[in-house]
Amino acid sequence: MKFLKTIGITSNQPVGRGFNFPYDLAINHHGESELILYMLNRGPSNSNGATRIQYFTLNEKWLGEFGHNEVGLERLSRPVAMAFNGNQILFVTDEASDEIKLFDSEGNFTRAINVKDMNDPDSLEPVGPAGITIDSHNNIFVVSRYGNFVQKLDEGGNPVDQWGSKGTGISEFNMPWGLDVDSQGNVYVADWRNDRIQKFDSKGNFIKILGKTGSKPGEFNRPSSVSANALGQIAVADWGNERVQILDADGYCLQVLEGSSELSLWSKEWLDANLDEKNARSRANLKDFNLPKHLNSAYHRASQIEHKFWGPVSVKFDLSDRLYVTEHSRHRLQVFEIE
Amino acid sequence: MIPKKCNDLITHLLRRAGFGATISEMEQYSRLEYKEIVDRLLDFRDSSYIADDVIYRDHVDLHSSRSGLPAYWGYRILSTNNPLEEKMALFWHGVFATGNSKLNNLRSLLNQIDMFREYSLSKFDDILLELSKDPAMLIWLDNQDNHKDAINENYGREILELFSMGVGNYSEDDIKECSRAFTGWTITNPEYMSLMSQKDSIWPYGRIVWHYNFDDVDHDSGEKVFLGESGNFNGEDVVKIICNQQATANFVARHLYNFFVADEVPVPQWGVTPPKDPEAIDELAKAYFTYDHNIGSMIKVLFNSDFFKKSIGEKVKSPTELVFGTLRLSGEYNDQSKIGSGIYGALAEAGFMGQELTNPPSVEGWHTGEEWITSGALVDRVNFASSHLSDAKNEGVKEIIDKTITEVGERCTIEQLANSCSYALGILELSNETSAGITELLESESVEIDRDGLIDIDENTIISTLKLIVSSREYQIC
Repeated sequence: MKFLKTIGITSNQPVGRGFNFPYDLAINHHGESELILYMLNRGPSNSNGATRIQYFTLNEKWLGEFGHNEVGLERLSRPVAMAFNGNQILFVTDEASDEIKLFDSEGNFTRAINVKDMNDPDSLEPVGPAGITIDSHNNIFVVSRYGNFVQKLDEGGNPVDQWGSKGTGISEFNMPWGLDVDSQGNVYVADWRNDRIQKFDSKGNFIKILGKTGSKPGEFNRPSSVSANALGQIAVADWGNERVQILDADGYCLQVLEGSSELSLWSKEWLDANLDEKNARSRANLKDFNLPKHLNSAYHRASQIEHKFWGPVSVKFDLSDRLYVTEHSRHRLQVFEIE
Repeated sequence: MIPKKCNDLITHLLRRAGFGATISEMEQYSRLEYKEIVDRLLDFRDSSYIADDVIYRDHVDLHSSRSGLPAYWGYRILSTNNPLEEKMALFWHGVFATGNSKLNNLRSLLNQIDMFREYSLSKFDDILLELSKDPAMLIWLDNQDNHKDAINENYGREILELFSMGVGNYSEDDIKECSRAFTGWTITNPEYMSLMSQKDSIWPYGRIVWHYNFDDVDHDSGEKVFLGESGNFNGEDVVKIICNQQATANFVARHLYNFFVADEVPVPQWGVTPPKDPEAIDELAKAYFTYDHNIGSMIKVLFNSDFFKKSIGEKVKSPTELVFGTLRLSGEYNDQSKIGSGIYGALAEAGFMGQELTNPPSVEGWHTGEEWITSGALVDRVNFASSHLSDAKNEGVKEIIDKTITEVGERCTIEQLANSCSYALGILELSNETSAGITELLESESVEIDRDGLIDIDENTIISTLKLIVSSREYQIC
């Protein structure tokens, strides 16, 4: 894949254009010309006001936002992930309230689905719904961070199947995070603290494990998100290694992406209005320098080299196989396309 | 419960070397000899604490350099199995006080704290050298503006005055020569990075964390005369010369004494006010040279000394010690898979009490001792401890209740109850005044005392007693 463009700029405001710890992207395909991107802003832990969903186009035309400062059922406390179904309904998981919140494409709240452990529906233990994806039949798949399971719900939000438990073996998880369904209905789960991707068929039958702990190609450090495209490629947000890996269907690493960001439209506009920083920036070397040994870990590299990924938390393919990488600590979206 | 004979010195050591100890920790440590505990505390190799990835997943803001990062340090203090490692970081943070209020780059400052952890028990020369290359320190004291043709004396002055020798032990010329030696010690992209810092700019893509860069072209490599020696000194040479001075040994010794043994007057007064215990300072300064400037060896001498063992109750707990000692006792963060966000509030409370981690009031650091106890801060301190140690849902509080009932049974005297609870809180002995106050207050809460002086023991009575004890003078000192 090759770098296409950067979208976004950081923001310290609870409203308006600019991202505040962006966490996940949902893509609304009205048709290629009307593709609209929805960015979930997690916001800092001690300030819920910055939590919101913004929507905009691939060309950085900002359209609006919703989900901030709400009260009641529509309030987003600790949202994690989002997905659209075929009816342009946006599903948002909230690990604090154990709910999936539903909004229409203009941000009007419709209802909430309470996620419970099918094996122990009366339990008061938190479930922590994290990653979410929706297949072509509008079946909903959601991951339980605390319960360590994957649950399948029908279009109406009724649980119909569930698999997984805590552990390190097959079909066992340790604080799983993102997931996706491919065109054949196979389910890929980012088994976060086990440093691997687990692949299942649509009924939850185990198929294979992709990757293991490490930092070499094909190895992972806390993978947070996974996305499959129509070409059979699987993108993994290798969050702890501060990179994204493109795998083939067998799990072989085809490419490692480390970030290639250039200035987005919004960033250029901001710098044009702040010429002192623009001029100082133009004289700085932000790309090529040697780092001291003790600050040469993946995390520290990412924190010091601006164009590289820092906190690549979410990966999503669109229907044109463009790949969108959301970085929570650089507050931007990097877009890649097939070469 | 811990036998009292084991309790005395060990709880003293654990309060000073750490943040106090829970009953379980006391039981573990009481199986060891005192010297063995000192050795174990000084060995950081087996340190464990809550994993970064778990913190970052719950608190995305702690991953970046935008905000909230002191909470990251808070989690380390709360969860570490070797609190001396964090206590040493806190010690150096106070000595080499660097504040985010000027830097506006918290991750760079926390990288400095990481450096303190790594070097805290090392040779002082190494610590001072790493400090001189530390990006947060370089920006804090403007060394990016210290140029070959136009020196900026800020770092050259403070390394002598506040970081090593103290006022009166060097001349103004030494400051200039020292500053010349540190020309060219800067960070990468100093112009852009310092502009972002000054403007507190997070645009366009968040903060860029800094790292050290030596600019050879901007370094004055000419001959210098420094503290009576001459040569083409650079920063490394200057650090070596500084670290060989008796004044440096005395200065480091007094800092260690002030932090670990007994409260001293503020640093600016050290030039005119003699040490509280000159013999102790001499002993530590001697250890500085005997052990080749090694701080770990000095700490070992300190903890095993008579002057340390006799210093029980001679320090006022700092806000960080009080807040995190209380939270470690309450055990409310023991489940590391669900850590919540209460830590932000706890850090804010420590700030209200006068100690905001990563934001010392000035380059002098925090003044200690009775200066912590203002009327407002005292109310905050009592309310904080009382609220966190009176919630029976907290794992640590539940442990205290269970152990107390096991020890005193269903009925005992108020004195027995108060003593049992005070031991569980890591306090040695309650004063007569405090004991009398507890008796009076429990009686006023309608606790019935029979003819033999016994009362019924239940959860509510224990919690009432805990609240009264943490409101006492004894809980404020260590």
